Amino acid sequence: MTSRGRFLLATATGLVLAGLVHIGAVLLIPRLSEADALSRARTGETLDHAMPVYTLATGDTPSPPEAWLPIPDPAVAVGICAYDLADGPMRVSARTGPLMLSLAVHGRRGAFYAVTDQAAVRGALDLVVLTRAQYDEALANADENDVTRDVRIVAPDAKGYVVVRVIAALPSQRPAANTAVQAVSCTVDVPAEDKAGG
Amino acid sequence: MKAADMVAPARPEAGNAGVRTIGARIAAVARDGVRRASTVSLVLYALALGAGIGLATADYATRGGYPFGGVAVGAWTAWPRTGSVGADPYARAVNARRGEIPLAVGEGMLLTAAQDDEGQTLDATCTYSIAGITPPARAWTVTVAGRGPRDPARTIVREGYTSTEILRDRDGRFVITLSPEVQAGNWLAMPRASGPVRLALRLYDTPVAASAGTLDRTSLPAITRTGCAA
Repeated sequence: MTSRGRFLLATATGLVLAGLVHIGAVLLIPRLSEADALSRARTGETLDHAMPVYTLATGDTPSPPEAWLPIPDPAVAVGICAYDLADGPMRVSARTGPLMLSLAVHGRRGAFYAVTDQAAVRGALDLVVLTRAQYDEALANADENDVTRDVRIVAPDAKGYVVVRVIAALPSQRPAANTAVQAVSCTVDVPAEDKAGG
Repeated sequence: MKAADMVAPARPEAGNAGVRTIGARIAAVARDGVRRASTVSLVLYALALGAGIGLATADYATRGGYPFGGVAVGAWTAWPRTGSVGADPYARAVNARRGEIPLAVGEGMLLTAAQDDEGQTLDATCTYSIAGITPPARAWTVTVAGRGPRDPARTIVREGYTSTEILRDRDGRFVITLSPEVQAGNWLAMPRASGPVRLALRLYDTPVAASAGTLDRTSLPAITRTGCAA
C-alpha cells in the first residue's frame, strides 16, 4: 500500500471512530452528567416535602437565584421529590386547591407518568411509585374490603424524581402556588409487615 | 501532484510571494510527513481524529436547544416528546446538560418560536403582534426570553402572559404586542435592548401533546412584524 493510501485509510478509520465516539458520548451524557435534574434532586432526598426548584417572584421579592431551570415559566412554581425505591415505595400526597397542580414521575429515561389535579378524589391526590416486586407485594397484602384511593405506578428504574408544578394564573396567586408546591409531601411508605408488627 | 505544484506558483491571484512560500513549505512538510509516517503514528492520528471530531460534534449537538424532534407548525415549533420516555438520545442529553425538567406528555407541551411568520428572526428592536387563538388547554402561558444571562440593569415589567391574565376580544381571540415601546392592550416588553429573542408558548393539561402532528397554523397565534425602530 502506498503511503498516501495508508494515510487515507487512517483518516477514514478516524472518521468512523469519530462517529462511534459521537454516539457513545451522546448516550453517556445523561448518565455522567452532574448538572441534570436527577443528580440535583438527590440533595433534597431526605426531605419530607417537595424541594422547591423554582419559586415564583412575589411582590418585590424576586425569584431566588438558586433556581436551576434554564428558562423557567414565570407563572409556574416547580418542586421536586427524589425517590430511591430501594428504601421502599414512595408516596406523594397532594391536596388540591384552587390552583392547577400536576405531578409527573420521571425515571432515568424521561417522564413515564403524569397526572393533574383533575384526577383527585375528594380533594386528595395520592401517588405511590413502586417497583414491580413492591407492586405485587402490595397487591398480595391488600385487604379486599379496603378501597384504596392510591394511584399505583410501577417505575422502570429504582431511582427517579417526581415533579410538582403549580400554575399561578394571576400574580396574586403566586404566594399560594409557592405554598402549594411545598405542601406536597413525599414520604417512603412503610412496608406492610413493619406496620403489622409495630 | 507534481504538475499541481508547478501550476500553483504561476497563478497570479494566489496572493503575495511570502504567503505562497509558507503555504508551499507547509504542504511539502505535510506530504513528507505522510510519506514517512510510521504505522504507530498513523494509528495515533486516527485515534486523535476520532476522539477530537467525535467529542466536538457531540458537544455541539447537545449544547443549547434540542437539535431535532420538533414539529414545525407555522412560525412555532412544538416539542411534544422531549420529556417522555420516547425522547430521542439528543433531547435527553440536552436536558441532562442544562438541568432542564421538560413537560411530560400528560402535563403539557412546549412550543417555541425564534422567527416570525415570514421567517425573519425575532429581533429585540422590532415590534411584533402575536394574535389569534391557542389549541385547547386548561391553561397556557406565553413568555419571551433572550439568549444568555439576563441584564441585571434592566427592570423586567413582565416576562409573559397567562391565559387568565390576558385581555381578549369579544370572540375570544387575543393580541399580544411584543415591543420595546409601551403599547396599549397586552404589552409584552422586550427582555433586552438588542439581539434575537425567543417566544415560548406552554400549554398545560392539553390533549394536543399526544397528537402534535395534527396541529395546523390557524390553531396557533400568528407572529407578525409590525415595525422596526432601526
